[in-house]
Amino acid sequence: MSNSWRFVTTIAKKEIIEFVRDWRTLLALIVIPLLIFPALFIALPLLLESEAAELDALELEIVWQGAINEDLQLAFNESQLAVSYEQLPTEISNLSDLGSDIDRLRGQDTNAIFRLVQNGSEWDFAILHLSTSEASTEAKSRILLAIYSWESDVVNGTLVEAGLDPESTLDPVKWDGEVSSSDAATKGEQAGLVLSLFIPMVIAIWTASSAIQPSIDMTAGERERGTLEALLCLPCSRMQLLAGKWLAVATITSTGVVLQISGLLFAITFLASTSIIGIPTISASSALLLISAVAIFAIMVVAFELAIAMKAHSVKEAGSLLGPAILFIIFPALFTQVINLDGIESWWFAIPLVNILLAMRELLLDRVITEHVLVWLLSSIFYAGLAAWYAAKQFKREDLVASIS
Amino acid sequence: MSGPLLTLDGVAKSFGEVDALTRVDLEINPGQVIGLVGGNGAGKTTLLRLMAGVMEPSSGTILFGDKQVSTMRKKLGVVPESTGLYSRLTAWENIRYHSRMYGISDDVAWDRVSHFAERLDITDSLSRHTKGFSRGMRQKTALLRALAHGPDILLLDEPTAGLDVTSARTVRTLVGQLRDEGGTVIYSTHHLAEAQQVCDRIIIVHNGTIRADGSPSVLLELTGESSLEDAYVSLTSDKARLRNEDNEKEGKISKWWRRFLTGRTPELREVSEDE
Repeated sequence: MSNSWRFVTTIAKKEIIEFVRDWRTLLALIVIPLLIFPALFIALPLLLESEAAELDALELEIVWQGAINEDLQLAFNESQLAVSYEQLPTEISNLSDLGSDIDRLRGQDTNAIFRLVQNGSEWDFAILHLSTSEASTEAKSRILLAIYSWESDVVNGTLVEAGLDPESTLDPVKWDGEVSSSDAATKGEQAGLVLSLFIPMVIAIWTASSAIQPSIDMTAGERERGTLEALLCLPCSRMQLLAGKWLAVATITSTGVVLQISGLLFAITFLASTSIIGIPTISASSALLLISAVAIFAIMVVAFELAIAMKAHSVKEAGSLLGPAILFIIFPALFTQVINLDGIESWWFAIPLVNILLAMRELLLDRVITEHVLVWLLSSIFYAGLAAWYAAKQFKREDLVASIS
Repeated sequence: MSGPLLTLDGVAKSFGEVDALTRVDLEINPGQVIGLVGGNGAGKTTLLRLMAGVMEPSSGTILFGDKQVSTMRKKLGVVPESTGLYSRLTAWENIRYHSRMYGISDDVAWDRVSHFAERLDITDSLSRHTKGFSRGMRQKTALLRALAHGPDILLLDEPTAGLDVTSARTVRTLVGQLRDEGGTVIYSTHHLAEAQQVCDRIIIVHNGTIRADGSPSVLLELTGESSLEDAYVSLTSDKARLRNEDNEKEGKISKWWRRFLTGRTPELREVSEDE
């Protein structure tokens, strides 16, 4: 083993051991990323489903004011609405005018108030409700569903009376066959499209944010704790020191990203079993390029963050600098989601950050366009080199030693 | 190696406009304990850092034998004032980390460390995390760490600062034993009595210059004083310069913002006798 590699691995190993021994950072950077997507994609829908079922089972109380319609009454009964009847208030200017009923709704004495008036062959109605109450919103939805069903019966009846066929009159233009079977994209490709809209963003944001804490701890933290001077006295060069620390941060960050993606794939597999989304299918070359894109991105981000953290005089200053720096990742990440990939010009793939995000999107769609690959690969390597050069410059600063109190 | 271990020739060091050291010429011979004595901000730590090869001189050369000292760091053992121990590692893990960086196998390092650990009465604490260590324990661990690779020169920056009487005495005793075994130690302190007790040669540093260099008797002879304390005072009678706290350039934006918030320091005004 060469001396340089021994220095780099010894430094990285020590940094990782120190990191692993702090359960709080371990929890923040390893456990949370592993659980975030399963929690988001599995636990949250299950929770929402159970909440919706609970709401469905509720019998809601409503007040019916004005004219009575028997067909509508029947529809209300089927919708688990307990109805009490009243006269229409006299002081209101129109049916939507809350009048004195506002207090009953705000006090939640009733879930909703349904008002109905017959004008010849037509009916006017309004539903008074409290939008901030889930029960009231649910009551409004059930009333509306019942009204649409009754209205449909009324319309159909009128058409039949006029000697018309309701189906051909109301729905004269129809899609023939299954809509989903007419898509030339496979289920896997469709899943790739859905995932390409957020996986690049997640990887970019998570790589950048999870590298912050170890970057600060291993640079400004060492400086503040007074361990940096002893380290600088060792017989290794500053570049070897930087490489060792870079390797440690990159390992920790990659572990976090890999765990997060594993959690995501687990969640997707679960969703696929419920037919909500398919499993993306990408070729080996796309997968390989995808891994390269993430690796180059990590080289660049970690080097940049180490440099900024080393430039800072304290942990506090490093945090103040790197915290807002995440915005420089989030904005391009959001921006990249809306760029149309069809016929996209190659120069887009040379813009820092945007290039890697676009590359990841294309690769998740299993599109390997040689010109694009060359542009993002070369430009990303250049940017990563630039970040590494800047980091090396910060690590070689003499006042790094001089400022240690 | 015949001749001096370390040679400083016309060494100067500046941080921006501040001259931390001006024209230092020194030769460090093997088998001596050399005390760097001076007040706060005198330039002792800068001189030690230059000797340790972690800083480059602004002018002049520092040679270890006939090679640049920065390329010979593996021959040096350094204990900085802050000790620089990692709190989430045990004392032995701290030592092992450094010895591995020096290319020393764990077995060899352990043999050396256990030998010195007994002298420092710290053997039982080697497997403990250093988080709860007292200042004395930290200093002893840092000493073991610096000795584990068998350095030719040991550089100690204020090794007894903040230590209790017993720990300070243990450290001084170890330094004496190292000298007796032929070791070379450069020892910075601002306690003259301690330097007199431990060192064969005392170098008085003041305002970035070497004011005197020799054995205690030579210093007394040089100044014509009867005690080392009086000799030190006479050699450093000019006012100590202001210490540049962090030797760091302040960024333009930071400087502007600090001034915006705190205002400029008001000019001193002469007070008339009437007032």
